Amino acid sequence: MSKLISLSEAGGLVRDGQMIALGGNSLSRTPSAFARELARQGRRNLIMIKTAGAYEIDLLCAAGAVAEVRAGYIGYENLFGMAPSYRRGVESGEIRVVEHACYSVIAGLRASAYGLPSQPVSGFDGSDTPASSGFLQAEDPYTGKSVYMIPKIRPDWAVVHVQHADAAGNARIDGGPFEDVLLSRASEGVILTAERIVETKFFEDKPERTNIPGFMVDAVVHLPGGAAPASCYPLYDTDEEAVAAFLGAADSPESLQDHLREWEVSDHRAPEAEISE
Amino acid sequence: MTLKTESEIQAARDAADQMAVCLARELREGERVFHGVNSPLPMVAIFLAKKLHAPGSVLIEVAGSVDPRPERLPFSTNDPALCQGAAAIFSNADAYDLFARGGVDLMYLGGAQIDKAGRVNMSYIGEPSAPKVRLPGGGGGSVIMEQARRIVIWRVVHDRRTFVEKVDFVTQSGNLARVVTPLAVMEMRDEGLELGSVHPGVSVEEVAGRTGFPLDLGAEIPVTIPPTGDELSALAEIDPEGVRYSEFAALRRVER
Repeated sequence: MSKLISLSEAGGLVRDGQMIALGGNSLSRTPSAFARELARQGRRNLIMIKTAGAYEIDLLCAAGAVAEVRAGYIGYENLFGMAPSYRRGVESGEIRVVEHACYSVIAGLRASAYGLPSQPVSGFDGSDTPASSGFLQAEDPYTGKSVYMIPKIRPDWAVVHVQHADAAGNARIDGGPFEDVLLSRASEGVILTAERIVETKFFEDKPERTNIPGFMVDAVVHLPGGAAPASCYPLYDTDEEAVAAFLGAADSPESLQDHLREWEVSDHRAPEAEISE
Repeated sequence: MTLKTESEIQAARDAADQMAVCLARELREGERVFHGVNSPLPMVAIFLAKKLHAPGSVLIEVAGSVDPRPERLPFSTNDPALCQGAAAIFSNADAYDLFARGGVDLMYLGGAQIDKAGRVNMSYIGEPSAPKVRLPGGGGGSVIMEQARRIVIWRVVHDRRTFVEKVDFVTQSGNLARVVTPLAVMEMRDEGLELGSVHPGVSVEEVAGRTGFPLDLGAEIPVTIPPTGDELSALAEIDPEGVRYSEFAALRRVER
């Protein structure tokens, strides 16, 4: 049975207050169009999970969709520096932060993927992070060594943008997978947005190159360009002008709506040929 | 866009070159080194070291590959374009696990606030529960800093807002070897961070005045070895587009 649905339908799967992990890393293979759709649909009180995030988190913060962020890094690197809407939300007290290292986000996701309540993580001695985030230590029963235990992070939805998917939800990622394979194992449900929809034979020819098997996936959206203005290797680079335009627009609700409207057509463009060779 | 004077631009370019070679000199032949997101200077420095004195070092990078040989260096250090020519993909989770096993020799980290004890803040300015500024966060730093054998911090500004008596929040600490800035190289010693060398044309007094904690100025402070001809020509070859300049406000390619 085909799991192909529209972007609006996929966005509608997410409920207010849910925990969401958007895949990719920083401005690379980010499910940007999906984030815009959540903003358009007016989602509220989301809990965002991310190792290193940028536009997608900042956009949802600008839209007032976010209640809490658990992440190692949120910002635009040296390109544009800090994420202004995220920053404003945290500084005004509207957005809670659970301070993490990227590795502790991974540990929490691993706890979920491994079916465990928590996962030990090495490191954190001499950091204020565990105390500020409520991470507790436990003693290893064999050596007596104290280790920090990161509680399970089980997102309601992982949303991953991939280069290739079929209608059954099999997915192949070109280039670095970042945390996306782990996200698919750790989350309750998985939504794919895909540059191209291929025949299943594409995966059958090289099953070892399938990063996410279809049975783990709930929905697939055909969404060429769905990472923009972030990059999608090797198809397109980061659109720096578009990121700059967003940063200029995120200061007021009206201009944010303009930004979302501006992208609406391309986000919802239904490709003529659903299946490419 | 703010117009900068010729001399300001040249000074910033010289400082960036000096920092790039100082960072490169930290990498020793045969070592495993990692660079993270938002790390243009370390990325350039690693490629420089591999070209000059450390061809057998192994670069593991945040975009997810091992020893890439990209046609051109990207401005974003986790751009998958960086992975070109790599023989293996090595995800971030793999890299963090390698750190946890003690398998990485050198890591370059940033720092918004750094104190005498070598503690680093990447999280909050002001009271963390009601911060004046929410910073981006430490990325991998708060577990990596005590796991890599050596940590070298770089920071493209040297001022009293950065080098403070005591950081507002300890994002990370441990295994700090050196701090490289546009003015100087600081070394971590038993008594804390001290001046290792000052860059050519910079006075010890200027560095001390722009550092918010006391420095031992009793002994003779050497001058940093300036970039050699070999280093400068290698830099021009591996980084013709000037990725190393992108962290400097005076040289920023795109300005808001």
